[in-house]
Amino acid sequence: MKTTLVNFFVNGKEYTLSVGNLFGQLLPNEVLVDTLRNRFGLTGTKIACKDGACGCCTVLIDGEAVPSCEVLTVDCEGKHIVTIEGLAAPDGTLDPVQQAFVDYYAFQCGFCTPGIIMATKALLNKNPRPTREQIQDALSGNFCRCISHYHVLEAVESLVKKGEQPA
Amino acid sequence: MIKSKHDYKYVGKQTVRKDAYGIVQGKTQFFDDFVMPNILIGKVKQCPYPHANILSIDTSKALTLEGVHAVITYKDCDPNWKFGWPPQKSVLGTRMRFVGDAVALVAAETEELAKEAIDLIEVNYEVLEPVFDVLEAQKEGAPQLYDEFPNNIVPGGYEVMQPSGRWWHLKKGDVENGFAECAIIEEDTIGFDKKPGTLSPEPPGLIIQWEGGTDYHVWGTTQGIMVLQLVNATVIPGVHIEATAFNVGGSYGNKTTLTNITIYGMLLAKATNRPIKMNETKVEQMVMHETRLGSTVQAKIGMDKEGVVRSVKALWSVDAGHFCNAIQGQVSVGLGEAQLIMCKCPNWDLDTRIITTNKLTAGTVRGYGGQELNSCLSLLMARAMRKGNFDPVDSFRKNYCQAGDKYFWRDGREWTARSVDYNDAILATAEKFRWKDRWKGWGIPSWVSEDGKKVRGVGCSVIGNSDAGESFAEAYVRIIPDMFKDEARVMVHINVTEIGNGQKSNLLKMVAEILNVPLEAVQTIPPDSRTSPRNEGLAGSRGTLTCGRAVSNAALDLRRQLFEAAEYKLRYPQEQMEMFNFGVRAKSKPELWVPVTKLVPDHHLTMTGYGRHDEDFGTPNFFMSFIEAEVDLETGMTKVIDMLGGTDVGQIIDPGSLEMQCQGGIGAASLDTALFEENFVDPVIGRPLTYDMIQYKWRPFNELPNFDTCILESQFDTNYFRAIGVGEISGAAAASACMMAISNAIGTEIKDYPATPDVILKALGKI
Repeated sequence: MKTTLVNFFVNGKEYTLSVGNLFGQLLPNEVLVDTLRNRFGLTGTKIACKDGACGCCTVLIDGEAVPSCEVLTVDCEGKHIVTIEGLAAPDGTLDPVQQAFVDYYAFQCGFCTPGIIMATKALLNKNPRPTREQIQDALSGNFCRCISHYHVLEAVESLVKKGEQPA
Repeated sequence: MIKSKHDYKYVGKQTVRKDAYGIVQGKTQFFDDFVMPNILIGKVKQCPYPHANILSIDTSKALTLEGVHAVITYKDCDPNWKFGWPPQKSVLGTRMRFVGDAVALVAAETEELAKEAIDLIEVNYEVLEPVFDVLEAQKEGAPQLYDEFPNNIVPGGYEVMQPSGRWWHLKKGDVENGFAECAIIEEDTIGFDKKPGTLSPEPPGLIIQWEGGTDYHVWGTTQGIMVLQLVNATVIPGVHIEATAFNVGGSYGNKTTLTNITIYGMLLAKATNRPIKMNETKVEQMVMHETRLGSTVQAKIGMDKEGVVRSVKALWSVDAGHFCNAIQGQVSVGLGEAQLIMCKCPNWDLDTRIITTNKLTAGTVRGYGGQELNSCLSLLMARAMRKGNFDPVDSFRKNYCQAGDKYFWRDGREWTARSVDYNDAILATAEKFRWKDRWKGWGIPSWVSEDGKKVRGVGCSVIGNSDAGESFAEAYVRIIPDMFKDEARVMVHINVTEIGNGQKSNLLKMVAEILNVPLEAVQTIPPDSRTSPRNEGLAGSRGTLTCGRAVSNAALDLRRQLFEAAEYKLRYPQEQMEMFNFGVRAKSKPELWVPVTKLVPDHHLTMTGYGRHDEDFGTPNFFMSFIEAEVDLETGMTKVIDMLGGTDVGQIIDPGSLEMQCQGGIGAASLDTALFEENFVDPVIGRPLTYDMIQYKWRPFNELPNFDTCILESQFDTNYFRAIGVGEISGAAAASACMMAISNAIGTEIKDYPATPDVILKALGKI
C-alpha cells in the first residue's frame, strides 16, 4: 500500500507525517491548529472560533500571518511554519515583539495575545515602518474582547520607533 | 495620565505582571492546554425548536457506534435534579424551551464520534408556541414555560442572596407625594433587551471526573471556583464539587457558574466512570451559553427644579431566557445601583419581575444587573434633565451617592455610604473632557461638518457599585525560609483566577509591600478549592477591596508573628521593628537584624498569617463615561470619536492594569450595546441568527475611538492601602452616555438600544 507523506517545518524542526485514516495518521481533513496543538504539543496557538474570524490561532506560514484553523495540514508540504513558541531565541531571549508586549503591558487575559504577536511579526517582517493605520489594519483580524488594543498599538509603535528589524 | 500619590515600593507603580512572560511565549496554561489521560468527549444534542415536547426518543442507533460510551436522556435522569433558583428546569426533561436546549448527552472517544452519535438519535417533537418578549410573556394566555410560574413570573429574591429574607422590590417613602413635589416628571417604557453576548475569546469548557459517591472534581474555565460550587452543588442533591481553574481566556463575569456543562458532565462522568471533557465550540458558546440579561423598564421619574431625582416608580421586567439561574442576585444589585445614581431620592417604588422566555438563558455578565437597569433609567433621567435644561454633569453630580447617603443593597439591608466622595472625580473628569467647551446644550451638536452631512454630539453618564465590598474573602500568607541561605519565599494562598485584569499579580504586590520583600519572591498557588481558603474570586468589582484586604491582613498577621518571634531574639520592642532583607530589624538600630530563617520554628518550617474580609456594602465605587459620537445623517451610521472614563480609586495599585480595566469598558457587551451589539433571534422560528463571530458584530482594531482616563486617588478608608478599585463598572455607563451623545448630535432623542442606522434614520424621519 502506498503511503502518502507530508513534510514541513515547524519552528525550524522538520516533521514528516503519514496521511491516512488509521490510528495516529494525519487525517486528510485535519487542520493545522489541531496538528500543532494535539500532535506537537504547541498549545501557544489557541483555538477560539475555528472560522478564521478571530485570529487567535494565527501562525506564520512562509512569513505570512495565517489563521491555522483554516489550513489543512496536508496542504503544508514544504512550508515553513512559525508558532509563538518559535519566536524566542534558544537561550530564552524574547523576540523584540514579545519583549515589547511585556514592556507595554500589551495583553489582558492573554488568550488572543499569541495570535496578535504573530500577526504583528508578519507585519513588521514586511513593513518595518508601518503607520498606526497600517498596524490597525494588519491586526483587524485579531479579536480581543478585553480591549488590550491601545497597549498593543503602543507596543508595536515602540518597535517602529526603535527601528527594530525583524530577525 | 495616571499618577500615584503614595511612594510605595510596588503599590502604585507599574510592575511586570507575574504571568507576562508566559503569556507572550504561549506558555501560560489555559483550560484547553490541560490534558488528562482516559478522557471522553461530552456533547449535547440540541433541540431545533424554541418550545417543544419530546414525544419519543430513540438512542439505539447511537449506542451501537463503536467508541460511544454513553447516551443519556430524560429517561436516565432523576426528575428531581433541577437547574435554577428556585429549582425549576429538569436537568434532562421532555420539555424543550429554547433552540439549543439539551435533548440528550453523549460521551464518546472523539468529538467526531460524539457528533455522529448525536445525528443518530431519533426524536419526535410536539412543537409548541413560543414567547420571546417579556411583556407578552406576562399576559394571560401567553405560552407557559413552567407550570409553577404563572404568567412566566419567577418568584423574586433568593435566600442565598438575602439571608434576612427574600428581597426584590424597593419601596421607600411615598412616590405619589414625591411626584406631587417634582417640577419635571417623565414616564416611558425603555428596553435594553437585545441580550448581547460577552463573547470571551476562550469558549467555556471543563473536564469533570466522578470521584466516587457524591464527589466530583472539575477542571475548568471558571472565573470563580466558589460560585461554580455554590450554584451547581444545589442542582443535584447532596453532591460535592471540588474545582481547579486556570488562567481564563476572557470571562467578563460570564464564565463563572458554567452550569449546564458542569451538570451534564457530571451525569456523563458518573455513567462512564471516565473523565468527561465538555469544551464548547464558539458556535455552541454563542447559541447555548449565557447572555446578558434582557431588560424592559416601565418607569416614571420625577425631578425637582434643581435637577435632583425625588421620586421613582418603575417595573423592571427581566428577561431570564429559558430559566432563571441566580438572576435574583443581579436584580437586587441592579436595584442597589439605581439608588446609587439617584441617591438623594427619598421616594421609591421599584418593583421587579424575572420572566422566563423561549430564548437563550441569561447569566452573570460584567455589569451584573446594574448596567441593564441603569442603561434604561439613565435615558429617562436624561430626558428629565433635558426638559429642565439641566447640565447633565451637574445633575449626575447632585444625584450620585456620597458618604452619609443611604441605600438598600443586594442583601436587602439598608447601608450608609461612608468615606467615599466622587464630586472631585466628576468635576476633574468633566474638565479633562473639556465638557464646558464641547457641551452646547441639549439637542445641539458640538460640531457639524462643512457639508452638513455629519454631526457630532457629546454625552455622559455615571454608574457605581457597592459590590466592591461584596462577600467574604480569606487568605493565608506563608513565609517559606530558604534551606541554605538567609532568604525566603512568600506563598500567597487565595482562591483567585487570573481573568485578564492583572489583579492576581496586584495582590502579590500588596503582600510584597507589607513584608518588604522583592516582588519576585512572592508567588501564589493555582486556584483550587482543595488548597485555597474560601473566597468568591475576582468577580465583579470586588477584587481590590475584598481580596486586597484579605491578603493585606494575612501579610500583616504574618508580620506580627515575625515581630513577636523577633522580640525574643532582638530584645527590642515590636512596635519599633520593620521588615528588611528577608528578616526583621530594629528601626533605629539597623544592625539589630534577624533573618526569617531564625524566626520560624526549627529553622526550616514555615509561618502563616491569616487575613479576612467581611462583607461590607458601605463603600460604593464609581465610574463616569464621557463620549463624543459622530453621526452620518445620510447613512445613519455612528462612530464614537472620543471617549473618556473617570473615577476615584482611592489608591492605584497598578497603573497599567487600572488603565486597561478602564479601556475594557469598551468590550464585553458594554459601549457597543448602544451601537451595534445584539443577539438576533428569528422572530418566527426562534433560532439565533448571530451564531458565530462572522454574524455577530464586534469592534476590531481599526475601529477604536480615542480613549483617555482621569483617575483620582483620594485615599478612601477602605483597606490597608486605602484602595477601592474600579472593577466591572468601567463600561457600564458607556452605552447610555453614547445614546445621549447621539441624541445631542442629531437633535432628536433616541431610546432604542442599539442605535443602529435604521433607529437613527427613523428618529430623523428619513425612513
